[in-house]
Amino acid sequence: MSLSKSSLSLLLFILNMSTIALSDGLNLTALHSADKLKQIPSLNRAAAAVVVNSPMFKPAVEPIFSLNLLSSFPEDLEISDYCKELLNIFGQRYVAYVSCLVPAARPVTVCQKCFSSFGSLREAYANISSESGPGNVSCSESLLRGDRLMVVNQLNTSLEELWTSSACDNCVTKGLQRLTNDTLYFMNTLNQTDDCFDKYRQGNHTELCKNCKSTYQELNELYGRMEKNQTMCIDIEDSMNMTRRLWSKYYNCSVPREETVPVIAVSSFMLFLPIIFYLSSFLHSEQKKRKLIHPKRAKSYTSLMNIQDKLG
Amino acid sequence: MANITKKVSWSSRADESGATGEGTPLLNGSEQPRHSRQLSEGRSIFQIGRLSTVDLEEEITSEEDSLRGRPKEIPHNEKLLSLKFESLDYDNIENQLFLEEERRMSYMGFRCLEISRWVVCGLIGFLTGLIACFIDIAVEELAGFKYQVVKENIEKFTEVGGLSISLILWAVLNSAIVMIGAIIVAFFEPIAAGSGIPQIKCYLNGVKIPRVVRLKTLVVKVCGVICSVVGGLAVGKEGPMIHSGAVVAAGVSQGRSTSLKRDFKIFEYFRRDTEKRDFVSAGAAAGVSAAFGAPVGGVLFSLEEGASFWNQMLTWRIFFASMISTFTLNFFLSIYHNKTGDLSSPGLINFGRFESDSVAYNLYEIPLFIAMGAIGGLLGALFNVLNYWLTIFRIRYVHRPCLQVMEAMLVAAVTATVSFTMIYFSNDCQPLGPEHTEEYPLQLFCADGEYNSMATAFFNTPERSVRSLFHNQPDTYNPLTLGLFTLTYFFLACWTYGLAVSAGVFIPSLLIGAAWGRLFGRLLAAITSSGSIWADPGKYALIGAAAQLGGIVRMTLSLTVIMVEATGNVTYGLPIMLVLMTAKIVGDYFVEGLYDIHIKLQSVPFLHWEAPATSHWLTAREVMSSPVTCLNRIEKVGTIVDTLSNTSTNHNGFPVVVQVTGSDEPAKLCGLILRSQLIVLLKHKVFVELARSRLTQRKLQLKDFRDAYPRFPPIQSIHVSQDERECMMDLTEFMNATPYTVPQETSLPRVFKLFRALGLRHLVVVDDENRVVGLVTRKDLARYHLGKHGLEELQLAQT
Repeated sequence: MSLSKSSLSLLLFILNMSTIALSDGLNLTALHSADKLKQIPSLNRAAAAVVVNSPMFKPAVEPIFSLNLLSSFPEDLEISDYCKELLNIFGQRYVAYVSCLVPAARPVTVCQKCFSSFGSLREAYANISSESGPGNVSCSESLLRGDRLMVVNQLNTSLEELWTSSACDNCVTKGLQRLTNDTLYFMNTLNQTDDCFDKYRQGNHTELCKNCKSTYQELNELYGRMEKNQTMCIDIEDSMNMTRRLWSKYYNCSVPREETVPVIAVSSFMLFLPIIFYLSSFLHSEQKKRKLIHPKRAKSYTSLMNIQDKLG
Repeated sequence: MANITKKVSWSSRADESGATGEGTPLLNGSEQPRHSRQLSEGRSIFQIGRLSTVDLEEEITSEEDSLRGRPKEIPHNEKLLSLKFESLDYDNIENQLFLEEERRMSYMGFRCLEISRWVVCGLIGFLTGLIACFIDIAVEELAGFKYQVVKENIEKFTEVGGLSISLILWAVLNSAIVMIGAIIVAFFEPIAAGSGIPQIKCYLNGVKIPRVVRLKTLVVKVCGVICSVVGGLAVGKEGPMIHSGAVVAAGVSQGRSTSLKRDFKIFEYFRRDTEKRDFVSAGAAAGVSAAFGAPVGGVLFSLEEGASFWNQMLTWRIFFASMISTFTLNFFLSIYHNKTGDLSSPGLINFGRFESDSVAYNLYEIPLFIAMGAIGGLLGALFNVLNYWLTIFRIRYVHRPCLQVMEAMLVAAVTATVSFTMIYFSNDCQPLGPEHTEEYPLQLFCADGEYNSMATAFFNTPERSVRSLFHNQPDTYNPLTLGLFTLTYFFLACWTYGLAVSAGVFIPSLLIGAAWGRLFGRLLAAITSSGSIWADPGKYALIGAAAQLGGIVRMTLSLTVIMVEATGNVTYGLPIMLVLMTAKIVGDYFVEGLYDIHIKLQSVPFLHWEAPATSHWLTAREVMSSPVTCLNRIEKVGTIVDTLSNTSTNHNGFPVVVQVTGSDEPAKLCGLILRSQLIVLLKHKVFVELARSRLTQRKLQLKDFRDAYPRFPPIQSIHVSQDERECMMDLTEFMNATPYTVPQETSLPRVFKLFRALGLRHLVVVDDENRVVGLVTRKDLARYHLGKHGLEELQLAQT
């Protein structure tokens, strides 16, 4: 009885925390899961209230049957202390990861900043889902698949999805130890470009375009290479996008359209060719004539013309 | 001779009848050897009526005198029938040899035949699929290479200047590739030009188009289509697939290749027009099915085009061929895409999946779809009219092969130029998608990380453009881009179709339609403002594509099914059907479908479903050719040789008559024999005298006729000595002893029905005493058609 109570309140706490943490997240998936989560606490709260109340008052009118069922679980269906502990750790790390994610939403730095907390979260989940614990206790059965809602499972899935779609694996070494060398190198180059932009920000932008072109070009090529190798994560993509936008839109360093005249000249020359061709073939080519053949026909009273006259 | 020219009008004076009757033999007599028996010269039977010309607008009397004595020449137009086209012998020739062979054949023999039909159909499907796969991969690789080169060049010159050089590079590359395609078509096999669908339609209709199902044609077609698609013309590779499938079918079913002079000694039974044509319909179906991933659509295409000869078993076999074809393509493409065994990319063109919620449609959208159908019909009619004038011009003035090659190169260069200019001046920039749906994104003057959206439409193979129009995000193209694209592509496609390159019109039509359909969808969304999730541009692009295609080719049932199958979504059946119906109704009000126009312009004697309305007053007597060159049942060899080698009368069927010995009665009809049979007989010297002297001589079998099929040697190549000319030939065994006949008073629609339904080649007109009066052939029937001024008659011409 007390076991279930405390576990429920713990869960409630975690859920509330995560709801708060997630509700101001910008990410759509986060919002979505938060929506889902909002419903869960209220349900649980009601359940908890009933559970708390039930042993003290026993109003005759209430559907006691179900309450009694809840309160009188046999020992082996309750979750063990070990599992409770695991759940607790998972909750803490979940909160930690989410609270790291939210500030990193814009501009996107979710991979650089939060990879370590994701690693620990993953570890916690792995512990829960592992089949064997001390004394051969498996928590995955009770914690992950115990009910239809599968709260822990769903929470984890949504964050795993977030991780996958951000492609952070490309920027972080195996085992989530540190950022890859490629990423660090890219960040370095990016910083150089940003420094350059900062340097020439004041005054004429043409100056900036001219002076920062080499570093920007280098960055662009590096990005192109990484794009080809598929070694990019959302952080790199986003920062590159921002830089490009700065370069092209804000500082207006795009290539201008300058060669209109030669292009028009060449195209009108090309368009002129067919006209010459058709004219010359009309004038000089011999028109193809067809020889009419006169079929052998029997003659008769009626002829097409007569009938057509009649019909007409 | 000249008296009977079309230009001369005869006054219907009864007293002239005698005189003209005397003159009648001159019609052909002056040129024709007199040995052949000419029956029913019309002297006693007919009175001379007024023979008059049908094209009344032209001058009649003034030039009359000068015209006499020489054939009249006129510029090519659509109201002609060419002499070079002949009918297929679909009707079985039931002569004694045939009956004998049938008697000899065991029950097992027939079972084996049935099984080998299935085997042949499977092979047809397999090979057609392979060819489609080859074309697809070749186009993808070569076009990929070309676009990569041009793209790198453009990127290089965007910064340093000199984009006009890129333009020239693009244009030169295009024309060079197209030049190869045009040269092989114009100089080696002109019949491989175009989509090939009109030709296959004619073949299934029962017209023997010379060289249309040869191996050489197939090779030229496949190489030609690769060149023209890679060369960036506004063309598709789907139409040629249908032709390729038909050639494969005609080749495989014969078990040999005359071009390669290889005979595998298999499928010998199928070496005649009846069987071959059935297999060709299976091949066409397999082609459609490979092109669009639409097996059922393929079957229905064959049904729609060649349906007068149809039975349930044949349908089932054709379906088998279609299925095999699409899944062969599928399988090999899956290997190519490194997903071996994944059978989910059917068809050369893949419309992609229409599955998300936004592409569901609602009842209130149906009127919109119908309106789009009407637009498609109008645009299609405009396309066809423009192409009609262009084609007439081409036939009249651009008929020399070198000119045709030049024209094709010019079109390629101009296509590149126009595309480049469009891309150059476009301001429509879109951010790059996350998974790079754009194959060759061109940045040009867009901001970094964005691409020029006009380039996705122009700088791409047409198939990919269609797919991106169907599936890209709603705001991928801005309305100006779409409008300009529609306009330019419409004229480019119209200009391109009919060039001497092998290329289809399906994809360009789809592309035009998809562009204005998408525009339509965007405008709708703009009008209804309120977020309108229902006006998904991709959906309207699909409907627009269907409307435009329907407006141009005017196919009905098969096209609906093809479109439905290509989208992979049955729920679109209703809108697509409605759209195609509307497009056809609206378009038919102005002009015929593109394929029918081209069939007419090629002067093919094409028989439509029905005789022209208001033709019941015409009887067989007016329709038939008369007098007829007949042969005796036991005929002198010299006579036969002379008849066959007469160049002025290129007849193919000769009624065989029997004269009751000793009596004065006119000869009566007893059979019909074909030119090809006579030639085989002459080649094997089946003469009565020789048979008597050499008793051991092997009896001629049906196999001998089959071995000569389909390229019977011309009569000139057969040597007949002076002595042999005096020999006699007994035709009894070889002639078709029971030819179809009709009395003289049979009305045209009746004759037509008989002819069309039985697939006849010759229909003998007899009088009440079974004497041959005339002969009705395909050209006699096909010359009547219903024009604007009532019933019109087409003229025969040498082309």
